[in-house]
Amino acid sequence: MSKKISLVKLFLIFVKIGAILLGGGYVILPIMMNEFSDKRALVSHDDVIDYFALSQSLPGIIAANMSMFIGYKLHGKWGAVIAMAGVTFIPFWCIVLLASVIGSLTENSYVQGALWGVGVSVIALIMLTVREMWQKSKRGIFFYSIFILTLATLLIFKLSPIQTILLFSVLGVGYKRIREGRKI
Amino acid sequence: MIFVHLFIEFFKIGLFSFGGGYATIPFLYHISQVYNWYSLDELTQMVAVASITPGPVGINVATYAGLKSAGILGSALATVSEMLPSLFLVIIVSKLLRKFSDNFYVKSLIETLKPISCALLTSVAIGLFTPEIKDLKAMILLGFLLLISWKSKRDPLFYILFAALVGVVLVFFKIV
Repeated sequence: MSKKISLVKLFLIFVKIGAILLGGGYVILPIMMNEFSDKRALVSHDDVIDYFALSQSLPGIIAANMSMFIGYKLHGKWGAVIAMAGVTFIPFWCIVLLASVIGSLTENSYVQGALWGVGVSVIALIMLTVREMWQKSKRGIFFYSIFILTLATLLIFKLSPIQTILLFSVLGVGYKRIREGRKI
Repeated sequence: MIFVHLFIEFFKIGLFSFGGGYATIPFLYHISQVYNWYSLDELTQMVAVASITPGPVGINVATYAGLKSAGILGSALATVSEMLPSLFLVIIVSKLLRKFSDNFYVKSLIETLKPISCALLTSVAIGLFTPEIKDLKAMILLGFLLLISWKSKRDPLFYILFAALVGVVLVFFKIV
């Protein structure tokens, strides 16, 4: 664990990253590379790419996971905590401020028009995210079976997301275990 | 009591959501139905605000949902609870980096979670479809947004600002 950077400095870098992070989580990779590899040579390009891949395969928010990996690498546990606090600092106050004014704005008919459009765009965003996740996965019989079974279960039985995830993870991993067992 | 529920619900989101910020929407959708902390209309508004303000969408939407549920303390609690599982996982995984990605169970779990996450998000798209897409205008706008992203997905910011602008223009010309 290198300690070439102070906790305060690390916090400030993550505050900056939180403030310039806009849109999808995928801009996080070039931002992190720029801040930690190119400008300061604290983390190598390869490590940043590794952390990015790992962050996507772990649960949770990709950008937050990645910040914590880098924080941990540079300053251990406290580095990870500082990264978490730093990256959410400005976004937190933005939301709190915006939320407090948005209520009084919704009386206005133009704002209502804008919100109507926004509602439609959120549906489009969700559909596009599904398509993106779909395209990025290796799709075989296993993928399609789990997808169809899960969707059918959700539509018919109204299970909560957690119940659904637990049920089908056990089924999926169990199936893979049995198939693997047969091969050997 | 609401703080205990907030902590548990958002901790679960942090532990079980896969695939970036929008993957947390199924959980938030579930929360709106179980606890009545916010309505479905407010949920789409929250997602939009979270997408156009700086910071990771998944964290922003948690901050907003916490705020709607229990004020500023709620928003701080929701934000921290959602990231807490990641904190533990990141520390554990950092220590056993190589072993982790080669493990059979970890690999099969990740392969299984992909289709599950797709299905969860699809069910939310179906659930939100009728409340949001009420008429032909909305249908046309949705079709158009999907059409222009046929080749590649643009920045989420683009869809929200473009659709908001269309809404404002429709009001201006009294079409709504």
